[in-house]
Order: sequence, then structure tokens, then C-alpha cells
Amino acid sequence: MPIIEVTGLAKDFRSGGAVVHALRDVTFSVDEGRFVTLVGPSGCGKSTLLAIMAGLTSATRGEARIEGTPITAPLPDKIGMVFQDPTLLPWKSALANVEFPLALRHVDATARRKRCTQLLDLVGLSEFADHYPHELSGGMRQRVAIARGLAQDPRLILMDEPFAALDEQIRTRMGHDLLEIWERTGKTIFFITHSLTEAIYLSDTVLVMSARPGSIIGTLTIDFPRPRDLDIIGSESFGRIRNRIWHLISEPQK
Amino acid sequence: MKARHIRTLLIAAAALAAWELIVRSGLVSPIILAAPSDVFLAAKKDGAVFLRAFLITVTEIGVAIVIAWTLGILFGLIVGSSYLVAAATAPVLSSIFAIPLIILYPLLMAWLGVGPLSKVVFGVLAGFFPIALTTIDGVRAVDRGYLTFARSIGATRLVTNTLIVFPLALPAIVAGLRIGTGLVVIGVIVTEMLASLGGLGYVISYHRSLFDTGHVYFGMALALLVALGVNAALTRLDRRIGHWRLRQHAECDS
Repeated sequence: MPIIEVTGLAKDFRSGGAVVHALRDVTFSVDEGRFVTLVGPSGCGKSTLLAIMAGLTSATRGEARIEGTPITAPLPDKIGMVFQDPTLLPWKSALANVEFPLALRHVDATARRKRCTQLLDLVGLSEFADHYPHELSGGMRQRVAIARGLAQDPRLILMDEPFAALDEQIRTRMGHDLLEIWERTGKTIFFITHSLTEAIYLSDTVLVMSARPGSIIGTLTIDFPRPRDLDIIGSESFGRIRNRIWHLISEPQK
Repeated sequence: MKARHIRTLLIAAAALAAWELIVRSGLVSPIILAAPSDVFLAAKKDGAVFLRAFLITVTEIGVAIVIAWTLGILFGLIVGSSYLVAAATAPVLSSIFAIPLIILYPLLMAWLGVGPLSKVVFGVLAGFFPIALTTIDGVRAVDRGYLTFARSIGATRLVTNTLIVFPLALPAIVAGLRIGTGLVVIGVIVTEMLASLGGLGYVISYHRSLFDTGHVYFGMALALLVALGVNAALTRLDRRIGHWRLRQHAECDS
């Protein structure tokens, strides 16, 4: 059953008098509990699409729905977000950062603490609950941001290139651990990335977006068995999928 | 430790003795340089007058600081959080800041009289602009990612501004408070010197016209004490938020 349905979505905006078509006729759906990744060239409107799905900006035409309801404003109890920049509050400890969204909603302090301690444990940071962001590595900060994205127990997590600022080794490790978190929580994840390898390794489905105006030009089902091992990245079938996506992205659209 | 204190005292005593000697020997006119004994005599003779003047000045400065901080920070937060308003307002504020405000004092005096009110208002005016300007800059320098994050967790504008933007802008705001508070102190004392019925500026200026250089020096010493006290308070404030300013630097470096 689809949790997200995007139909005929288009987004135009004005830039110095000229109208820019950022998205054109974007249609897809995401089934509950799936890991879906969107890849595409830089500036193709991936982040705009994500912002519309998050209710942060409105579409010019078409709509995005979550569980049948049109998304017109942020829905923090249904949709969690993780950004490329962890945007942690520097004066709050890791635990307090995870608790922050719940504190705003006046969730009882004991319940809040308990839940967020568990989330920090889930992302492998239980020993760092009292550390401040500047005392954590880039990868650890992003783990805190992931825990924070899960704090309000949303059904869907939107992730906008969350590992793009990390070095390759940590990035690979983070991807691996994210799969584990995903499997343990059963959330639906919609993930944006530049990295084809990351997209294929993580996903059930890879959506390929064209250059501006962005539209979906390919939907690939990735059926490597789970739990996945990093070794599949070197396999022949992995390379074939990678090539197909690469051709989709790099060939000019008719 | 103790030996060092004794040495400092000895050096101070020697300096005072040399100072006294220079004036007594007639090398420098006592109108230009009052001997330490003259300053001491002035304090002994008119101590009560000086104490009253000191209290008036401290009160005027205290009230002006509270108002200038409150107005400057509030104004800066409100203006800075709206991109368009800030773009329209900041240049106007900067130009006003560039005007030597003291030329407005005759007007203030005509409107508000020569009493403490005109001193407080002038002090507020002197401190307001740098505080408002740095607050606007600090707010506008906050990473937009934080605003997106705030919206995604359903934070209202008020919550975003008070719990996220204000603390993030605080290091810049405190820099403005340093400049602005200094100008409040100067503003109050200078306007007391120009025309007033009380306060340190008034006492200094009055005794200067009588060539009571000892009294002038004692007044100056008290004014210095006010400035040092304000500065010490600011340094404490700076240090209190300084520890997470360092944290923010760490965040930027990695």
C-alpha cells in the first residue's frame, strides 16, 4: 500500500524575471516500509521535490499525498527529516538535541528522555548522550540528526543527501548502519543522493530524475536480498544496474 | 604570590610618590596635573557630593543600558528575521549610526529638559544602533538550514526565533552589546557635562570651570570606575556564552 503518492507534480519559480521550470509532471508512489532513493544530476530539482513532499514549499501543479492526505504544511508527526547539514543546536547535548522536537510539543520529560535514550542507542551513540556537537565527529553528528528525525516517531523519513559531507569510508559505514536502523524500525525512507553506488546499495527502488525540468525517467527495482552485504557492490549485476542508471542520467532526453 | 602583591604595591606607592613630587616641585602646574594629595583632599572634602553624583550617573547608565539592550535586541530580532525588512532597514540604520548623535542633544534637551531623562534617552539612542545592527547581522548570518529544520519539526515563528535563532545569533549580539554599552556610558557622561544638574559629568565640568583640578581628577576616577564595572560585567557575560561560541567554531571547522 502506498504511503506516499506524488501525481503530476510541477514546480515553476521566478528567477530574475524568467520562469524556471524546476519540476515537470513528476509522478510516483512509495510503498509503506520501503527504502526508495531518488538520484539525478545536480540542480535537477531533487531537493525541490523533497521540500514539496515535506510540506515546506508548495507545488505549482499536481500534488503529493501522504496516506491519502495532501501535504500542504509540515507534518512533524508523520514526516521526519534529515538534512545534509546536521543542524544540531551547539549549546545542547546529543540527547537534548534528539529531545528538542519532542520538547517543543511538550512531551512529558521522563517519557521523552526514555524514548530519546533508546533512539541514541539505536544509532549507536548511547555513550555519547552527554556530549556536545563539537565533541562529536561529522558522522556521529549525522547519527544524532537521524535519531532526532525519528524522535516524533514519523512513518516516513525524508533524507536529503545526509551523507554527502562525509568521507567515503564513513559514508559507506553510515549507509550500512542506516539499513540496520531502517530494518529495526520499519520506517519508510525516501532518500536523495548523488551517489549511484549508495542509491543501489541502500534501496528497494531507485527513481532516476532527468536534468531540469526534473521528471522521473526511470524506476529500477533493486532485488538484492537483505540484509545486504557490502560485497554486492563489486558484483556484476550491481555494475549492470549502475551502468543503466548512468546511461539514463547522462543521455539527453528526447 | 604574596611577594608579587607586595612588589605591585611598592611600585604603585613609588609612582604616587614620584607623581606627588613632580607636582610639589613646581615642575608641572597643579592646574594641569593635580597631586595625589589634592585628589585625596577633594574626596575628603566633597565626598558626599561625589557619592550623590556617582549614584545619579550609575542609575542613569543602568536604566539606559537596560532600555538600549532590550530595544536593540528586540528590534534586531524582528527586523533581522524578515529578509525584506532587513534589506530595507539595515542601510538606514547604518547611516544613522554614522551620524554623530551628539548633535541631536540640544533638541533632546529642549524636549526633555536638563534632568536625568534627557541623559537616559541620549544614552539609549547612542547604544541602540550598534546593538540593533549587530543583532540584525547576527540573525541574518544564521544558517538557513536551521530555519528549514525548525519548520520541519513544526516550530512556530516565535519558537524558532527565541529558541533557535536568538541563541545562534548570540555571539554576534554580545559583540554589539560591547560596542553599544560603551557608547551608553560615554553618552550619559558627556551629556551630563554639556548641561545638567547632577551626575559625575556635571561635577567634573563644574570643578573644571573653577580650576579645582583635584576634584576633576577624583570625578574622572569615579567615571573610570563606572566604565570598569560595566566592562567587567560584559566580560563575564562574554565568557558565559564564550564556551559555546568555541563549540560553534569547532562545528564550522570540521
